[in-house]
Parts: sequence; structure tokens; C-alpha cells
Amino acid sequence: MVDNLPAAIAIVAMALVTLLTRLAGPWLMRHVPATPRVEAFLEAMSTSVIAGLIVTTLLHSGLREGGAVLAAMAVMWLTRSAVAAMATGILTAAIWSAVAG
Amino acid sequence: MVSNSAIRKTTPKARFTLIGVRRGMLRLMPVAIFVIPFGIGFGAAAVQTGVSTTQASVMSGLVFAGASQFAVLDLWQSPLPLFSLTLVTLAVNARHIIMGAALSGWINQLSPWQRALALVTLSDANFADTQTSLRSGDPEIGYLLGGGLMLWMAWTTGTILGATIGSLAGNLDQWGVDVVMPAFFAAVVCGDLRQGARILPVITAVAVALLTVDLLPAGWNIIAAAVSGGLVGAVQHGR
Repeated sequence: MVDNLPAAIAIVAMALVTLLTRLAGPWLMRHVPATPRVEAFLEAMSTSVIAGLIVTTLLHSGLREGGAVLAAMAVMWLTRSAVAAMATGILTAAIWSAVAG
Repeated sequence: MVSNSAIRKTTPKARFTLIGVRRGMLRLMPVAIFVIPFGIGFGAAAVQTGVSTTQASVMSGLVFAGASQFAVLDLWQSPLPLFSLTLVTLAVNARHIIMGAALSGWINQLSPWQRALALVTLSDANFADTQTSLRSGDPEIGYLLGGGLMLWMAWTTGTILGATIGSLAGNLDQWGVDVVMPAFFAAVVCGDLRQGARILPVITAVAVALLTVDLLPAGWNIIAAAVSGGLVGAVQHGR
């Protein structure tokens, strides 16, 4: 067990660094002119960062998670409902776990 | 002044209202419900690593960034390696900088204090939700804070539960709760594409994330993916 004082210092350091990452983006962009091309960059980047997150999560998992995400995408494409897509993903993964153990 | 009028033309006037915050909370409720088991998982893992119940709960309340909190558990030993711990936190959370930059056109219209308040709970899920609505022409920043508060409550509550009675919960993954986040993000990407986002940046991002995951320190492959996708989008612009 780590003592409370060093633990508190570590937690505060983590919190400050994380807060910094949250505030930094818009602050940095104040120094970049908002040309249409910069906006195209930011717009493509905002979908891309989410795509990168999905890929990285799925790399650390398996067929079950991949299947669940594909099912969720299909339902989103058909219904445009994120809640329906998530429910489908959960259901797919739960059934997979029940059947495959 | 030229750049100023360009902002006006492409970015509608941002709003930051209490109604928006409340609606943001409701919008992310279905996601937040499933963040509770994630929190339970973190709380239980933290206690197993030797983090006390109080330390784990305070960490979730103040840091509120799950991936980095799981990452530092690997480093949690006496004496604490403060420097590596801070560096790992920075690396895993650096994607917030990208997300903040992506929202800057709207966020930077607010006063400095409103800006800080809007960003204090910025995380993956409320970013994903808010960028969709901003892009579709609803310039409400309150969704970001509201959604973030909802996620924060779920994450902190889950951590406290997990750190106190985590051993009783058993393995929640068999119910499929572990796929909620990737499923939600996949739905958001799908929605963006249906709204007219170009596919080439997304394909580029996927490829770069895959190719760099083993080459870069944890977390940086997502940033490489985001920036590459953004660059492809910038090159494509006007074609």
C-alpha cells in the first residue's frame, strides 16, 4: 500500500496534466487562422480520432468485440439511432459470450 | 479580419446554456449507465493493486480519464515513480488536445471562464456526441459539459462501488457491457459518414492507427491516426 501523501501528490499531478490536455486544444488553436482548409483539417480530424480509438480498442480484443461493433455499425447505418446501435452491440456480445462461453 | 469573417461563415454563433447542459446529460445517459461497470472494474482493479478505496475514488473524481487511470495501475508501487506516472498520463490523455482543437471553432467564441468550464469534463464519449451535433448545425456547447457531468458521475460512482464491494460484482463483461464504448464510437463514425463526412480520412486514420500501434508509446498511435486523417481531409478540401 502506498502512503497517502505520495499518493495524493501523484493523483494531483495526474489531475493537473489531464486538465492541461483538456484545455490545450482550443488554446493552441487561437494562434492558428481559421481558414477553410484548417477547418477541413479539424473536421476530418474529429472523425479520425474516434476511428483511431475504435481500432486501438479492437486490437486488444477479439472476434466477439469485432462482431459486436460491426453489428452496431450496421444498425446505425439503417436506423441512424446510436442507442439502437449500442443495444445491438451489447446484445451481440452477450449472446456471443453465452454461446461460446 | 479576413479570418474572422471566415469563422462567422462556417461556424454558427456558439451557445452555452443550462438547457444545453441538461439535454447533454440526458443524451449521454444511455452511455453513462454502462460506464458504471467500467468504474466498478477500475475500482476493483485499483484495490487489488494496492490503491486504497479513498485514493481510487479521489483519483476517479479528479482525473476522470479511465484509460490513463488503468495505465498508472501498472506503475503503482512504493516509492511511486512520479515522473513516469505523470508522463504516462500525459501520453494516454494527449488525444484530448486533438479533440479540443477540433471543437475550437465553437469553444473559442466563449469567454475564458466558460471555455474552461466547457472543457473541464472533455472526454471521448461527450466529444463524440458533441462534435456530431455541432457539425450538424446545432451550436450548443452545453451538451459537452452536460454529457461530461453524466459520465463523471457514473465513473466516480462505479469506482466507489468497485473499490468497496468490487469482489462481489464478478465478471460483468459476459453481459456485453465491455463493447458499449467501441459500439458507441462506431455509431458516431457511421453517423458522421452518413452526414457527408468523407471516407478517405477515416480509412487513413484506421490504417495509421493499425500501423503505428506497435511503433509508438501507448496512446500516441491514436494521435498519429487523427492527424493523418486530418491532413488527408485538408488535402481533399476543395477537390
